[in-house]
Amino acid sequence: MRIVWLFLSPLIALVAGVLLLGLSRKIMARIHWRYGPPLLQPVIDIIRLFSQRSASHGILFDLGIVVSLAGSLIITLFLPFGNIAPLSGSGGMLVILYMMLIGPLGIALSGGESGNPNASIGISRNLMLAIGYEVPLLMVLLAVMTRYGTISIVEIVRVQQASTWSIASWPLVVSGLAYLLVMPAMLGFRPFEVVQAPQEISSGPMVEYGGSYLALVSIQHALSLYITISLFVNLMLGGSGNIVIFLFKMLVVFVLFLFVNAVFPRFRIEQAVRYLWRWPTLIGLIGLVLVALVGR
Amino acid sequence: MMVELLLIVAFGGSLLTYVLGKLSSRLRNGFALLNALALVIMIGMLYGQEFERSLPFGFLGIQFSIRMNMLSWFFAATILGIGLLAVLYSFRYMKGKERLDYYYFTLLFINASMLGTVVAGDLLSFFIFWEMMSWSTYLLISLRGGGKAIFAGIKYIIMSLVGSLAMLVAIVSLYTAFGTVDIGELAVHMQSASLGLALLVVILFSITFVIINALWPFHTWLPDAHAEAVSPFSAILSAVLVRKGLYGLFLLMYVILGFSFLDRLAVGAISFSNVLAWIGAITIVFAAFRALLQNDSKRILAWSTVGQGGYMVLGVSVATSMGMAGGTFHILNHCIYIALLFFVAGAIEHRTGGIRDLDSLGGLIKKMPVAFVGGLVGIFGLIGLPLTNGFVSKWLIYKSLILEGRPFLAFAAFLGTWGTILYGYKFIHNIFLGQLPDELRDVKRVPFTMAVPIMVLVVLVFLFGVLPGIPLSVVNQVGTYMGFEPLDLNVWGIPSESGTLNVVNLLAAIAVAGFLVWLLFKTLGRSTRVDQSDNYAAGAAIPRGRYGFTREFYAPLYRIVSPYVKDFPDALFLWIADRTKALGGMTRKIYSGYVGSYVMYIVLFLAALVFVQLTWSPW
Repeated sequence: MRIVWLFLSPLIALVAGVLLLGLSRKIMARIHWRYGPPLLQPVIDIIRLFSQRSASHGILFDLGIVVSLAGSLIITLFLPFGNIAPLSGSGGMLVILYMMLIGPLGIALSGGESGNPNASIGISRNLMLAIGYEVPLLMVLLAVMTRYGTISIVEIVRVQQASTWSIASWPLVVSGLAYLLVMPAMLGFRPFEVVQAPQEISSGPMVEYGGSYLALVSIQHALSLYITISLFVNLMLGGSGNIVIFLFKMLVVFVLFLFVNAVFPRFRIEQAVRYLWRWPTLIGLIGLVLVALVGR
Repeated sequence: MMVELLLIVAFGGSLLTYVLGKLSSRLRNGFALLNALALVIMIGMLYGQEFERSLPFGFLGIQFSIRMNMLSWFFAATILGIGLLAVLYSFRYMKGKERLDYYYFTLLFINASMLGTVVAGDLLSFFIFWEMMSWSTYLLISLRGGGKAIFAGIKYIIMSLVGSLAMLVAIVSLYTAFGTVDIGELAVHMQSASLGLALLVVILFSITFVIINALWPFHTWLPDAHAEAVSPFSAILSAVLVRKGLYGLFLLMYVILGFSFLDRLAVGAISFSNVLAWIGAITIVFAAFRALLQNDSKRILAWSTVGQGGYMVLGVSVATSMGMAGGTFHILNHCIYIALLFFVAGAIEHRTGGIRDLDSLGGLIKKMPVAFVGGLVGIFGLIGLPLTNGFVSKWLIYKSLILEGRPFLAFAAFLGTWGTILYGYKFIHNIFLGQLPDELRDVKRVPFTMAVPIMVLVVLVFLFGVLPGIPLSVVNQVGTYMGFEPLDLNVWGIPSESGTLNVVNLLAAIAVAGFLVWLLFKTLGRSTRVDQSDNYAAGAAIPRGRYGFTREFYAPLYRIVSPYVKDFPDALFLWIADRTKALGGMTRKIYSGYVGSYVMYIVLFLAALVFVQLTWSPW
């Protein structure tokens, strides 16, 4: 059974991620008073892209994408998904944190080799934005791990199942608030959509990708949406013992941030980092201090 | 006899290398390599032995002694291993440069004296070896000559001397108190020592070791020294010499003082371990952000050495088996990947005609693939991505900090890692990725003798990352020697209660997923290779040669961060140096050179004496 889930859970994550992507276009269109593309548009796009020819800039240009997508697929094995977590025994949160780096780093290396300045600018912005939101995020994660006295994400979910959701419990509610504030930046949603910024730097790291490259990057993007939201649901909303409820929670969180995305303009990268290092960091720090004072 | 022989071969070999160099440079190179190789084999044969022996001679009535145990062995093995690779690397790197006999002599001599410090069985010979190490390091830092190199050397030697003096005072006070400087005997005597003496000794020794370990606020010598030293020596400096400070701390904290005594050295929440841990945390964060601001390939690496020292101290000061294993393992891991990175930076420097400025490089992945692989793997190890060695040691350190309920220290450690990603990527991007400038079109590959050390270290980074059980079993023995419970281990990782680390799962998952995606990519994707100038410019034509984006890679972040991460300790020390110089200048004015002035001084002094006697009549 475990072997089946090893292959099934990345697939479910993939499908869920791609559907979220399709849904986001539909919802965004409706908020903008447009009709919008069909729900399965991303799938159609990916199939079409695979049939097209494309240009390659070198070995790392190819390998970076492959590694990035592979890394993202693997994290889904470490994140509890409903009551299933095929590999979550191997190192817990710390491994997840590090594995989450592989996706962006793969794209960064691949985009870097393209030699396009727009790609380099996009990557530099991506890394700056990452250190911007990682500061509050790490405080939140440490607060959660310290509060429950474990680095195992399965354990964290189990404790929440037995009592209440982290975000509804004192003192983790403060950390939860900080987490909510950094989520748009983690998802790459407006007002933090500085990395791709199509009007400024022609989609940043993605500028040189076409054909199968773009298809793989789109899949990776869909997976990274899934991973980010799934981590939030597991840590803050108590995960779930049931796959359907888990996916429902993810959907609610996603739609919530989509509304934020729909109505905001874009920050400049400096404004984004300054904001992230001001309010979410302050709240995250208060949350961490409270956890350290209250103890387990 | 083995350890004595080891020292004799090490010191004798360095002298003989110098003599042979006068005859033939080939002979010298061959002998230097053989000597380094012989030392590695000998230390391999000493594995697992534990003894302490007095030497037949001494100094000032103090008997010298040597000791060998897992702690000494661990450090000696890193010193000799990196030493061997550095010698091999030097052949091509130093080719055609001046004073090569002197260079090889000093390089081997430093290795020998470092070896001496770790096998010294008493504090006096420890001090003597330590001084030999300091002075020869000074000579090698200034090897290139010129204002900057001399300045870096002077900066190093002054800070090192302050440390040495502190250590000398500590040793003398231990000797006057107990009448012995033997490490084994001191460990027994210290248990009955007064708290005041212990505190004095701990503070004095800590100054020495914090300076050489380049922890904040005494890190200031290191970036200059690394940037000015030749690359093979930078590797030694960064990988092993700096870590003599940690060897000293181990010796002080866990061999001489021991746990129970360390616990007594506390006033409320302020204990020795806590102070040390916070110094480590500040070092990590400060160094990460300083490294971000650097634009010189070797200076970035130098700051990363400063920062990684903080991780080791964090692990060590937690003082649980896991933290200790993490800290000790990190010494080994850091030594591997930082030597690798310095070798890579040196190879770039060698082939591009001495370019270290990250704004003028780019696109070298196509010209120097071996250097690229080395650089990438080194940076991955530095960040600590899974399947590299850095991951396992950092995992141990993080986990011990979180489980011990020290979230703020863990936060500093995490933040440092995320800073590492930024400057690590910049290092890779600005050297190897992006556009290849026209000036670098004819750059050649890394020469063979330089590629060998790079590839050896690349393999080690992965080997220790995938099979962490092998090095960790040695680390475990080091921990056991210092009185820690051994960690539960298997070859693939660390099975324990909840958060188990199992690298083989990770490896299998990454291999399978990577293969599947690659298969998908290969079967469905059709692509043609294009030139680097064949790029989509979004309608805005940019002239050739202006297409690279490397200058001020993180400009917006620099603007936010730079006002806050000024190097205040460096400015303070330079100010003190400047004031001291001014004071010296004023003192010199007294010696005017005229006999008349001197007569006047004497008369004035006598007059003052007479005045004092007449007024208060003290005599």
